Amino acid sequence: MKITLNGIELELLPEKAIYIRDTKILIIADIHLGKTSHFRRNGIPIPGKSAEKDYEQLAKLITKTLPENIIFLGDLFHSDYNKEWDVFCAFMKQFPKLNFILIKGNHDILEERHYKDTCLSVVEDRMENEQFIFTHEPLKIIPGNKINFCGHIHPGFTLIGKGLQRITLPCFYFHKNILILPAFGSLTGLYLLEHEKDAAVFVIVKDKVIEV
Amino acid sequence: MRAASEWFKLQQWKPHAFQKETWHSIAAGNSGLLNAPTGFGKTYAIWFGVIQHFIDAKKKVKKPGSNLHCLWITPLRALSKEIENATNKVSLDLNLPYKIALRTGDTSAGERAKQKRKMPEALITTPESVHLMLAQKGYLEVFQNLEFIIVDEWHELLGSKRGVQIELALSCFKTLNPNLKIWGISATIGNLQEAKEILMGDKHQNSVLIKADIKKKILVETVFPDVLEKFPWAGHLGLRLGAKVLEIIHNNNSTLVFTNTRFMAETWFRFLLDADPNLAGILALHHGSLSEETRKWVEDALHDGYLKAVVCTSSLDLGVDFRPVDTVVQIGSPKGIARFMQRAGRSGHQPGATSKIYFVPTHSMEIIEGSAMRYSIENNKMESRIPFIRSFDVLLQYMVTRAVSDGFTARELYDEIHSTHCFNSVSLQEFEWCISFLTTGGKSLYAYDDFRKVVYEDGIYKVVDKRIASLHRLSMGTIVSSSAMTVKFLGGKWIGSIEENFISRLKPGNVFWFAGKNLELIMVKDMNALVRISKSKNGIIPSWAGGKMPLSTQLAASIRHQLNAYHKGEKFDRELKFLQPLFEEQERRSILPDENRLLIEKINTKEGCHIFVYAFEGRYVHEGMAAIMANRLSLFKPITFSIAMNDYGFELLSDQDIPIEEAVDSDLFSSEHLNEDILKSVNTTEMARRRFRDIASIAGLVFTGYPGKHIKTRHLQASAQLFFGVFMEHEKDNLLLKQAFDEVYDFQLEIVRLRNAFERIEKQEIIITHPSKPTPFSFPIFTGRWREKFSSEDIEARVMKIKEQIEKENQK
Repeated sequence: MKITLNGIELELLPEKAIYIRDTKILIIADIHLGKTSHFRRNGIPIPGKSAEKDYEQLAKLITKTLPENIIFLGDLFHSDYNKEWDVFCAFMKQFPKLNFILIKGNHDILEERHYKDTCLSVVEDRMENEQFIFTHEPLKIIPGNKINFCGHIHPGFTLIGKGLQRITLPCFYFHKNILILPAFGSLTGLYLLEHEKDAAVFVIVKDKVIEV
Repeated sequence: MRAASEWFKLQQWKPHAFQKETWHSIAAGNSGLLNAPTGFGKTYAIWFGVIQHFIDAKKKVKKPGSNLHCLWITPLRALSKEIENATNKVSLDLNLPYKIALRTGDTSAGERAKQKRKMPEALITTPESVHLMLAQKGYLEVFQNLEFIIVDEWHELLGSKRGVQIELALSCFKTLNPNLKIWGISATIGNLQEAKEILMGDKHQNSVLIKADIKKKILVETVFPDVLEKFPWAGHLGLRLGAKVLEIIHNNNSTLVFTNTRFMAETWFRFLLDADPNLAGILALHHGSLSEETRKWVEDALHDGYLKAVVCTSSLDLGVDFRPVDTVVQIGSPKGIARFMQRAGRSGHQPGATSKIYFVPTHSMEIIEGSAMRYSIENNKMESRIPFIRSFDVLLQYMVTRAVSDGFTARELYDEIHSTHCFNSVSLQEFEWCISFLTTGGKSLYAYDDFRKVVYEDGIYKVVDKRIASLHRLSMGTIVSSSAMTVKFLGGKWIGSIEENFISRLKPGNVFWFAGKNLELIMVKDMNALVRISKSKNGIIPSWAGGKMPLSTQLAASIRHQLNAYHKGEKFDRELKFLQPLFEEQERRSILPDENRLLIEKINTKEGCHIFVYAFEGRYVHEGMAAIMANRLSLFKPITFSIAMNDYGFELLSDQDIPIEEAVDSDLFSSEHLNEDILKSVNTTEMARRRFRDIASIAGLVFTGYPGKHIKTRHLQASAQLFFGVFMEHEKDNLLLKQAFDEVYDFQLEIVRLRNAFERIEKQEIIITHPSKPTPFSFPIFTGRWREKFSSEDIEARVMKIKEQIEKENQK
């Protein structure tokens, strides 16, 4: 699904990411890596492979879009340091030409030294260009006519139809110059949003993005 | 029976026939099951058999070693005290050197050590404590001279995994003493003979079933509303009959008000207090989430006759007799006859007294259950208890228990467990899987040290790691509590526990109603919710998770029978007479279903097309039936259903026309291919996933936390679910995984009952009516809140369809 905001064409991808072809930026929110190890360390032994699925998805997405930059809109890593972080760093090394940028979210509590010596540039609060502002949490005040890309919410939307049918799906949610991305990670839940009058909701159905 | 006749003469009592029969049977060296109502001396029927054996054996030679002669197992700690008093009195009166002591979770470490040094002649204990004793080093010496095992309230234990624990413990004791005498005591259930066989296990000779020829009189009285509501609305009626319940409380000495859920208990307690403030102080609340201290206080006060009424849940189904209680009220459908009788039996304890029970329906359709209940009691139609089989979770726990104490050899332990009903079909290969699971972690968990619990040394399987041993002792048992949050006053006084997800929805300052008090949440710290009393009048009442009980097979059959009696115009009772206007309204709009006719109603509303089917089989069976029907209907065209049900029937709702007429003609209710169809239509994986949480916990896969320091439920669930996921992916033949699916089939889908229902319907006449408006029978289902869904349509197509509907709506 393609939409144009501030004169720039954006691709809303069913893989739960946005691609800006113009500047070759891939935007991803809320992967929450390291969650299984986090469980394990808290006394719950889990032989888990769920993280592998996330990497697989991410790798596929990169090969599909061939971006030059990847911006993570926060909550990249769910926990304090555990071994999964090293796995992720190794993963990034597979793509030496790519710029990985992280805008820190509330879950990103790794210490500075863990970000050092990786190919990830870390931005504390926000990143902006002429048209867009990238943050983790939605901004309260947005300067000028810029569009705020953010995550944090894990938006979901429930369609209600005849015969008491309800379908809940992850979505992109655009309202008052804020575009909220769905959470990318597979170990994440959904926060259901209402359809505000002047909002645009794009739900993800299998391999399609549909505006409702 | 010298001891018995001496003692009965002393009390100036005359023994019942069943007591004499039991004494003689025990003297003859038999084992058996005694079926007798409470309050007629069933304890003494067994006890004097035990005592007499002791006296006679003592005259011969005293065996060296442990004194322990009899183990008396009860399901409830509260009952153990009463039995201890009764039996000790006998020893005292007859001046017998026969000591009786308690051994339960409450027994102090000092007392336990004392017992270990010198065992009393009898221990009164619980299934959990028996297993804990088996987990001690040197348990063989303790039990070497054991002659008797008495299992009290066997009917209660039978249908649970605690029953499996008993079977396992018995198999071990029988090896120690092949002449062990096993006696069970049971209330009346549908499968008494089977209950006896299961208790005895394989290869146990000489067992008898003794039935007391005493019937307790039970009077069932339905509380009617002043006006019959022709369109019943589930849950709507209950409190409106509150004034009448209040009247019953006033007119009697002491009343137990039974509700089906803790939520209802809290609601009714609050209602009654508001309606009559004079009840403050003499009305109490009792349910499983209240602190033990509070419950104990209520029980004592009830016993001493201080309380006018107690609102309670199944927490008071069992337990010691409360003599002052002369009346019982049941709010809402009791769901089963045995349970209803059990509750009725909580009143009128004097021998020969009549038990009186008032039935308060929560919606007008439920009134028919009063009639069905009376019919069932008069005709002695009781439910059977379905025993668990192949509970590998309990087996794995037990194997570690045996490994923790003195260790076991594979061949001997296999022979033992194979003699139980539960594990009779377990093959040697499956047993070997269990051993490998405990020694290596099995196929998927071999990489984790934590799962290599048991080691093989010198031909014996044992646990050598002290940490594993102590963790195991801490987490034994088969009751998995939904680890709840403790509710405490700021000063530290414990009030009770509430499920975590209720508390997590509250913010500090919010007020909720719990334990009969309005409480303000101050803060949540670790797993404690700190509260203070609030003056605010409005608080929300927590609801507790836990499946809704379905109507039992027997009660469902009785309801169908009574409908038939009405239909045929046979003489009918007050309930049916009262319901007559509702039935007539039903016949005006549609027809009245009965034993020989299955009614299907097809109604169109602006929501879409509704199909109502009245099978009267209980909600679980309806759930499975509805799903199978949805699947079979979807073969006609891609279609999406929303499914609702209650105990009387179910509804399929779709946005498009449901081709029911066509479907009925082509075997919609065929009992063929049921298993295949259920696999296709019900998400058994999801159901099994939910079941797996308990299984993983019992089997020791997930650690439920140190006492008093529970791991948050969320985490527990997450980890049990992840194990489930891993086994599903990599180890489909994992026996715990299979068990989860088997339990879903047996206990959730009630597959046997489902099949019987389909076979019954095949013989019925199927009638489809097309009412223009909802009928009295359909209304409570129609207004029910809980819905399942089934779809054979592509999700994308569904989204597009809803999108079109919304757009059309917007254009208007």
